[in-house]
Amino acid sequence: MNAHRLVSLAFFTTWLAASVRLAGPVLLAALGETFAENSGVLNVGIEGTILLGALASFLTAYITGMVWVSLLVAMLTGIVFNLLLAWMYVTVRASQVVVGLVFNVLALGITATVYRRVMGESAGPQTVAMFAPLHIPWLSDLPLLGPSLFGQTILLYLTLAMVLVAHFVLFRTSFGLALRAAGENPSAADAAGISVPRMRYIGVLIGGATAGMAGAYLVLAQIGLFRESIVSGQGFIALGIVIFGRWSPWKAAVAALVFGACDALQLSLQVVGSNVPPQLLAALPYVVTILAISGLFGGKAIQPAALMVPYAKE
Amino acid sequence: MKLIQRRVSPADSPLAIAASMGFAVLAALLITSLLFSLYRANPLTAYIALLREPFGSLRGFGYTLVRTAPLTLIALGTIVSWRSGFGYLGFEGCSVIGAAASAWLALFTSISSWVFLPAVLLLSFAAGAVWAGVVALLRARFGGNEVLISLMTNYIAILLVQYLVSGPMRASGGVPETALLPRATWLRFILPGTRAHSGILLALVAACVVWVLLRKTAVGYELIVSGLSPSAARFAGINVGRRLILAAVCAGGLGAWAGTVEILGEQHRLMDGISGGVGFTGIIVALLARLNPLAVVPAAILYGGMTVGANAMQRRAGIPSSITFILQSLIVLMVLASDLFRRYRVNLT
Repeated sequence: MNAHRLVSLAFFTTWLAASVRLAGPVLLAALGETFAENSGVLNVGIEGTILLGALASFLTAYITGMVWVSLLVAMLTGIVFNLLLAWMYVTVRASQVVVGLVFNVLALGITATVYRRVMGESAGPQTVAMFAPLHIPWLSDLPLLGPSLFGQTILLYLTLAMVLVAHFVLFRTSFGLALRAAGENPSAADAAGISVPRMRYIGVLIGGATAGMAGAYLVLAQIGLFRESIVSGQGFIALGIVIFGRWSPWKAAVAALVFGACDALQLSLQVVGSNVPPQLLAALPYVVTILAISGLFGGKAIQPAALMVPYAKE
Repeated sequence: MKLIQRRVSPADSPLAIAASMGFAVLAALLITSLLFSLYRANPLTAYIALLREPFGSLRGFGYTLVRTAPLTLIALGTIVSWRSGFGYLGFEGCSVIGAAASAWLALFTSISSWVFLPAVLLLSFAAGAVWAGVVALLRARFGGNEVLISLMTNYIAILLVQYLVSGPMRASGGVPETALLPRATWLRFILPGTRAHSGILLALVAACVVWVLLRKTAVGYELIVSGLSPSAARFAGINVGRRLILAAVCAGGLGAWAGTVEILGEQHRLMDGISGGVGFTGIIVALLARLNPLAVVPAAILYGGMTVGANAMQRRAGIPSSITFILQSLIVLMVLASDLFRRYRVNLT
């Protein structure tokens, strides 16, 4: 009986739609991180920035009720906090893993404290206004692909447009070339007159903008409320997606879709009821991410040569 | 003559390091003061309150030692792995795996109590060693990124424990948790009238062992060389991959012991959320101690005490204990940033 329901059209339709919906935030975060990593910075603090963006968008939406303003505030929050990260990574030249990790603890402390301060101790979870899924007559009602391709929120289409823009900027403009040079061979880039620190600041700040937006995506298009566990590793998964996507925006989009499919599959299996316990199903996206970046498949990933190496001008 | 001059190399006299660290801590305290004033609390009284509970009474100090033990063990694991060039961040996972293994041994086997302690330490260490060793294997054999993989394993371990306490190991009752562990398996309380247990002794012994391992043995020397320069180590005939796995095994085992002392010494039952972020605070403690195994002990006592003080402050003054996360991480961030200032000198002549 279960097996029969599993293969039904309805299952696949909802699974596909959920895959695309769940891929959105990680893809958004991964897009900005692609810029940071191509400039030579592995931003482990992305998890914290997404969390701060989620809280900022939640509080703004709670107070104003305006979703676009909330998205903007989340983006600005991401930029401001990543300015601190960029300063630590680029100017102080501290270890990127260390700074990112400690920053995540800081972000957790800030969000927990601010949320309690604004919302009060005892208040239950409050919901806020969300982006509504689009409904395009005829297209959204297509069988199988309709809901997944034409029934998403505007944020998803914005994200997909940003994939194209990111790819163009990174690989078709002189700015993109300079950015990648800073991550590939900083001293040569420096000799060619490129300011390596400036490129890395820009990379990390772009990463902050999209990470903040990813947090807003979680709140405004997925669950409509805030909790401290809202991100639960999706920032780290975004880092994995950048590696699996070989530091290219459109490949990251494919990788994000694979992640979304796994996440949606485990959720759907929980709903239809399978014999595997739900907690073990929930581990599926993490396991798949580990396999994707383990080096077991697809040969060794060739990362930007100066990734995680602080640059000091001689 | 410029007022602020760049040094050729950073000032690295003990005085310069101590002074820059002192300023860093002060800066972190000042920023956190602003937060206290959000709650209309006088920062000075707040800081005194933060320290009085953990260090002002024997009972409070007992709690401090309870919090210190797992922090020390995780910080030691961090030191062994990071100094060997293995950027492991999976201690949250190791600790819950260790707790689960210990709970299983205590609940589902009946070994006599004097064999139990060595057996549980061995089993827990082995569980953590395997858990971290797999990550090292992926790194050494296939070039996987251990930083990200180990972060992912944290979530898997936590979900695994959620499954265990809601399924196979669940006690009858409304809450997903195991039954209370038999009293014979608890760690002995060591200070009358307090909750302090013998886990702290394990942590202290481990700190000395790690110090001897890294400073006084050939293996430790090879570990550190592998961490400083893998290519030089390879040139000297050291099997870097194997050293990496050894470091991961020690780190995972120490991380798992953190879970063991937490469950056998304090919680006495397995439940979801048993580690509560200790895997990351432990890493921060190691950083504060500048990856020195002996300096870890005072750093862990300080941070463990801060946690105790913050909980007391939340109970009494309604200031959320999450402020300690801010204070604890800010201190380390500021200490890291203070390195920047040692690169300059102020020219007053």
